[in-house]
Order: sequence, then structure tokens, then C-alpha cells
Amino acid sequence: MTRRKLIGLGTAAAAGLVLPDALLTTGEALAKPAGATPGIGYFGRFGVTEKLIRDTLSAAMSRGGDFADIFFQHRVANSFGLEDGAVNRAFSAVQLGVGVRVVKGDQTGYGFTEDLSPASLKKAAETAAAIAEGPAQPLAKKFRVESKGASRYPVKVRWDEIAPAKKLPFLTGLNERVFSADSRVKKVNVYFADESSVVLIADSTGRMVEDFQPMTSLGLSCVAEANGKKEQNGYNVASRGDLAYYSQERLDRIVREAVSRTMILFDAEPAPAGEMPVVLGAGASGILLHEAIGHGMEADFNRKNVSIYSDKIGKPVAKPFVNIVDEGTLEGARGALNVDDEGNPVGKTMLVEKGVLTTYLHDTISAKHYKVKPTGNGRRESYQHTPMPRMRATYMLPGPHKKDEIIASVKKGLFCTNFSNGQVQIGAGDFTFYVKNGFLIEDGKLTKPIKDVNIIGNGPKVLEMIDMVADDLVIDEGGWTCGKDGQSVPVSQGIPTVRVSSITVGGRGAKG
Amino acid sequence: MSKNPLLETAQNAIKIALAKGAKEAAARAYTVRDVEVRWRDGKVEKVQEATTKGLGLQLYADGRYSSVTTSDLRPEAVEKFIADSLAMTKVLTVDPFRSLPDPELYKGQAAIDLLLEDPKYADITAPARRQITRDLEAAARNVPGSSAILSVTTSFNDTLAESVRVHSNGFTGSRRDTSFWAGTEVSVKDSDGRRPEDYSFAGSRFFSSLPAITATGAEASRRALSRLGAKKGETAVLTMAVESRSAGRLMSTLLGPLSGASIQQKRSFLEGKTGTQIGSPLLTISDDPLIPKGFGSRLFDGEGLAAKVLPVFDQGVLKNYFIDTYYGKKLKAAPTTGGVSNLSWKLGTKGQEELLLDMKDGILVTGFLGGNSNGTTGDFSLGVQGFRVRGGAIGEPVSEMNISGNHLEFWKRLAAVGNDPYPYSTLRTPTLVFEGVQFAGL
Repeated sequence: MTRRKLIGLGTAAAAGLVLPDALLTTGEALAKPAGATPGIGYFGRFGVTEKLIRDTLSAAMSRGGDFADIFFQHRVANSFGLEDGAVNRAFSAVQLGVGVRVVKGDQTGYGFTEDLSPASLKKAAETAAAIAEGPAQPLAKKFRVESKGASRYPVKVRWDEIAPAKKLPFLTGLNERVFSADSRVKKVNVYFADESSVVLIADSTGRMVEDFQPMTSLGLSCVAEANGKKEQNGYNVASRGDLAYYSQERLDRIVREAVSRTMILFDAEPAPAGEMPVVLGAGASGILLHEAIGHGMEADFNRKNVSIYSDKIGKPVAKPFVNIVDEGTLEGARGALNVDDEGNPVGKTMLVEKGVLTTYLHDTISAKHYKVKPTGNGRRESYQHTPMPRMRATYMLPGPHKKDEIIASVKKGLFCTNFSNGQVQIGAGDFTFYVKNGFLIEDGKLTKPIKDVNIIGNGPKVLEMIDMVADDLVIDEGGWTCGKDGQSVPVSQGIPTVRVSSITVGGRGAKG
Repeated sequence: MSKNPLLETAQNAIKIALAKGAKEAAARAYTVRDVEVRWRDGKVEKVQEATTKGLGLQLYADGRYSSVTTSDLRPEAVEKFIADSLAMTKVLTVDPFRSLPDPELYKGQAAIDLLLEDPKYADITAPARRQITRDLEAAARNVPGSSAILSVTTSFNDTLAESVRVHSNGFTGSRRDTSFWAGTEVSVKDSDGRRPEDYSFAGSRFFSSLPAITATGAEASRRALSRLGAKKGETAVLTMAVESRSAGRLMSTLLGPLSGASIQQKRSFLEGKTGTQIGSPLLTISDDPLIPKGFGSRLFDGEGLAAKVLPVFDQGVLKNYFIDTYYGKKLKAAPTTGGVSNLSWKLGTKGQEELLLDMKDGILVTGFLGGNSNGTTGDFSLGVQGFRVRGGAIGEPVSEMNISGNHLEFWKRLAAVGNDPYPYSTLRTPTLVFEGVQFAGL
């Protein structure tokens, strides 16, 4: 039983393995919607009809559930890996399946299957139905197909229409450039991944919505050797875009960042140990928000009364210039969505507004519990899982300070720029994030580079101690994956440069 | 007798792959039946039940390699999937190190019954599952101090997994196993508004050998209640005891750097270190795939190699890496096995209580939070919580602290190993005591 809440980067440098598990193309071509049945479109090719959906939902509601939904998914994920100078491995994963959920109050029944036959769907529905005990409940008379509005996925040419060979130059090109950038480079690993997932969600209220969800990521890791020492680091990017996402500027940045983040480690020292001021650089430092407040604001923990934020809505939790947002509408972001995995529209949710705790992140069950509209945070890893409140892109709005002013304000402390992973305890509020690169701040100036240090704090305490926020918000482009209750979902995060007046740095050098 | 459908699926996939131009192929077909009941504060929260299935393939074509999986097992879909996979494989660069394992290594499987399947698996009923989750909650609430409990969530989960592996160069293997897990999570209210949580769980291959359910439920409450009033301690260098359950987190940070891939890709601080002293003489560990009823036990590994005991550390000296066929060829080394099965530790003679008496002063770590370990350099930094130990007795709870160090120094300071291997993890760590550990806190 794991109730672990954590986040990590695809190329979590320390974990060693570069390739993600989900990989490459094949299977059913993810091409044109069949278009035969309005609303069903794509899944018509697998024999899915409105009658099949209606029969399944009827079976799901046959024992008195309040609500039922059905979630079809076809996901094709592909990737190529480069090692020792050659693109010499390809990976592909095809997932086709359907999950049926029945909700009774806050109780859930769930069944799923990879076999889309009527008999198999009926069995899954009956499994889910057993959560309730009562007379059958009716379905809506007609399905209404929900319009999703403008797509947030900037894809002109779909991944399944791109020949595999077109992707290879990205890998070989990056490899050559990293080796020529610095003679200390000894090993380079590159992966290129793309994914196309189509989902169809229909529920007992008559809602029906289909969404095509693309994803791509490119990551580079390098090992360098000098004077008998080895160092390793990397950089990766991810988006719901298409091939055009990989602009020359972005590819240049991948090379530059991977090399510089690795080479600086030769000069880096262990960080100090103990409490001190910590300045977090704009961008990936949004990991602080994900762990310190984001998870604790997921409404399932709050309706169960087990989050440290359970009784704090409407209360001041931070300085008045602190505004924290979770939104699914950032075009192309890894955490962007047209609809959530319950079919709810996705918008922008204020977690903290002018320092006051404002809104939890809801799925359908928690929204009903709190008698509010769902916020579009009901997400799931796949058809094998039930949805729950999850973050999308979590970030802090710009504040009144300047980056230089913030660094200059610290006599002795740390400036953190790159991160690999974090974790939180929902109820106690303690959280951590792991710093791959940073600098000491001495007398208001960045001095020695530091490396590999975990930082640990308590969510509400640290929010109160964010006492400076700059105007330089950056949404990080890295391939972040959030884990909760055994389910992984893609997310984004961002933040302007901020100062935390005091937090524990888990280093081993002398205290600053 | 009808043919095993999984064997048929795997053999058919191999046949298609070879017919479409693969030189060699490996296929694994599987089904997993999994039922989970979750119970919270007096009623069922969730029931999930499903049988999932899938097919995984490793394709070797024209000297090129790919690894693919699908859950779409319709015959026409499998055919197209393999054709598309081979088309993709052909755009790759030739990799001379890729091939199926040497068939000689398939030979010599241990002739023992690992006792991985409970013949009575199918007897468990839905009401019985619910009763277990209900009993766990009752036990969790029946402890001193239970008025501070905010919420209790319990779960029971049973799984039957079946798989068949077929290689085109002469390997066929199958396995069936069952497992049963019971878990409890408890949140308690602290006076300062914090809601500390902790959990307990127990698992077994056989339903009848699950430990007394009530013991695991009450353990979760005791652990959560013991967190009340936890405070950050001083930054200091101290002796650290790590309870057996939590010590797996420390051990897990060594596994990446022990892999053939990490060694060959220069991402391991253990590169070139076989035969050298890495840990204190108390560190003796082997990988033991043949432990009856073990969660990691197996007769053959993920590549079909006959499973054998593999010494990893002997009195602190590094003996072997985990090397699969591919990285074995790249490293010009004999393959051992590509991954950990069960770890078997040379145990000490004392349990945690006695070890704390010997330790006298320090911190007992009962949980890790986040952090990471740099496998290339051996530097690590991990969040911890636990208890201050004074005069050999457990004192006040501490939280929001961190430990850091470098593995090449850290394991040499291993000062004691307990007699209490943790049974619910494949790493089977006993209580471990380390001297001179850097703690960060206040």
C-alpha cells in the first residue's frame, strides 16, 4: 500500500537509467477519426457503438449507483534510444482498454478490461456496480457530445504520421554536438519519445467527450571524466506539441544546459548543513510549490481530513504578494489538458490568492462533497486506474521584487537552479526536493557551485517564509512526472525567483 | 488437455516475428488478476477488480534490436503490431552486442518448488476481503491514545499472476504466483495542526501465512501516534540506527550503481571496484532467487537464465555486478543476472532493541522522505524522520531532518547488522547501525 506523493524528471540524473518505460510506434494507426457515429469517432474502429456504451452504463447503474462513467483509451507510445554513439534501440508500448466506474456517495467500484467485446464490458460494469446495493438507476435519455473548445495541443502533424527515420537525426545530432562541446565528455545517452493517446469518456448523465492527447519528450544525459573524477548530469524537455516543438533554439539549449550542468560539477562542493536562507531560481524551482502546497490542496485528502491544509481555506497562509495557480490551459505544456479524465472542462484554479488559501483541486467526487464545480483536476494514469484530484501545471505568479535584489539580500545561503525529484507527507506537511545544481551565496553574491543536496521543510511553515518574489516567472520545460497512490501523470511547474528566509539544507559542509 | 493460451500467444508471436524477418525473438505473454478492497472510516471506499493481459517482445532483426509491448491481443492487431515493430527496428543502427542469451545459460534450473502459488487462492470471497479490511480498522482503533486518530484507511489486495516466456533459440518457461497484502494507514491530529500519518502492511504468497491481521492494524496506529510532537533536531554528526523496514531505502540506492548498464556507461561509483573493500566487514549480501515463498524468487530471470545465488558483497568486498546478456557482451564479462531477486544478508545476533542499547546515543531512523543518490559519484542526501536515542532508549520523535554522505565512506562505517530481516520487501534488510552520520536539522 503506497500513498506516496512524489515527483521526478524523466532523466532523473541520479537514477541512472535514461529511457522512460513507455516508448515507440506501431499497432493501430492513430489516424483519421472514423466519423461514423457522432461523438464516438475514433473508437468506432474497435467496434464501439453508442449502444455498447449505453448497455455498459446501464449494467453499471443496475445496482443503484449515483453515477457511472466509462473510459476508453488507446495509447501508442514510441521511443528511440542512443547509446555509445548510435541509435540502437527502439521501444514501443500499445495500450488498448476500457475502465468502468460506479460512484455511490464517496464509494467507488471499478473494473477494466483490454477486451472491448460486449460480454467483457458487461462483466467490468457488473464488477463496478457491486459497490452499490439498491434498485437500478436510469441513464440520461440521450448522449450530448461536449465541445472541448480550442485545442491546447499545438500539433499540426500527428506523431503517427511521422516516419520513424525522421526522428533519428535529433538523437545523432545532439550526441555529436555534446561530444564536440567538451573533450571531457565520455558517454552520452539520448532518448526521443512520442506518444498519442485517444480517450473517450461517457457517463450516466449523458456526457460524451473524446480527446486526442499527444506528448513528446527529448532527453540527454552525459558523463564526463577529468583528473580521475566522473560527473554526470543532463537536461530534458517535454511538450504536448509536435515535431515543430524541437526548434533549433531548443536543441541548442538542450546541449548547452546538459554540458554546462555536468561540467560545473567538477568544481562543485557539498552544500552546507542546517537551516539557512535559500533562493530558488525561476523555473524548475516550482517543485517547491508542487510539494509544499500542491499535493496538500488535492481535495481528496481534505475531504478525508488528512491534509495539513484541511482547515485552512479562507485563511492567510503566505505574504500578500504570493499567488499560486494550478492550470491546465497553458498551450503545449506537459501538464496541459483539453478535458480531464472524467470529461470535465479544464481551467485555471487559484490555490493561493493574495496570500490567502482559496480553492482545492477537485475531481467529481470531491466537488460533490464540497458542493462546488469540479475544477478539471480529475486525472488517471490509464484505463487501469480510477481518477483522483491531481495537479496540471502548478506555478506562482510574478511578485514585486527583482532577482538581483533577492540574491543581494542574502548574507549566507544557497541559490538553487536544477532539481531531480521531490516528495511530501500530506498530513505532517514535511516535504523535500533534491537539488542537482546550485551556488553558495556569500555576502549577496553567487560564489562556489554546490551539488547533490536534499532540502527539507514543512509546507505551511515554508509558505509563510517566502518573503521575496521576483517578476521573472518561468514555466519549466522539463518532463516532470507526478506519482500518487501508484499512478503517474505528466505535470508542469514554474515559479519566479523567490527567497525562503530559512529552510533545512541537507548538506555536509560546515554551516554557512 | 487444452493448450495453455499464454503459451499459444507467446509461441504465435515468435512464429509471426520470425516469418516477418526477425532473426531471433523473445516473447512473454501474461495475465494478472488483481482484486483490491479499500476501506475507510467504517465503510468500503473502493473495490477494484480486473484481469489484465499483455504481450511483450524483444525483436532481433538485421543486427538491430527493439523491445515492444501491447495489450491489444486481437489476432489481426498482433500481426500488424509485430510488422510495424519490425519496420521501426529496421531504421536503427546495427548493434553487434544484441542477441538472445547463450542457450547454455538456460540450463541448470534449480529442481525445487519455490512455493509461489497458493492452491487455495480462488477460495477467497468478496465478504472475506471486506471483513479483513474491517478488522484492520478495528485493530487500528483499539490502541491507547486512539482519540487522536483522524482517519483510518485499510486495504486488502490479492493477485494471481501467470506468465509464459518463449525464446526462439530454445527457451520456454512459465510461472504462476499469488500474493496477498493487507495494509493500514492512520492519520492522527497533533496539537499544532499537523496531521502525521504512518502505515503498516504485511504480505504473503499464501493466504494462510499472513500474519495476524490485528497486529498490522495496531502497528500503523502505534507508529502514527508515536509521531505526535515531532520536532526538528540539531544539525550534528551522530550514530544512526535504521529500522529494518526503512533500511531498504538505503540499500536501494546501491542497486543502480551495481547494474551492468551503469558500469558500462560510466555512471557508477562502483566501476572497477570488484575485489575492493566497499563496506565494513559486516556487509555480506548475496542475491538469492531460490528462497521459498520469496517475493523476488524465481527459477529463471527476465532473460531466461537459470537463477543462481550471486554473492554481491562478502565482508565488505564487492564481488559481483548485476550483468545481463547485452551489457555482459559490451563489458566482455559473463552475464550474472540482469536484476535483483531477493537479497540475503549475513545477519547479526541482536534485534533493534539490543542494538539501540549498544548504540547508546544517536538517532533511530524510521522513515525516509525524498532525497536522492548520485550513482556516478556516490554522493547521497536523504530526508529522514525517527527518534532521538539517549542512553540506549527511544526518546522524542524527530522530523524534517536529513542525512548525507558518500557511499564509499558511508558503508565502511556500518557498525552493526541486526538479526531481523524485513520480510515484506525483496531487499530483506535487517536493522543497520552506522557511525558518524551527518544529520542536518536546526
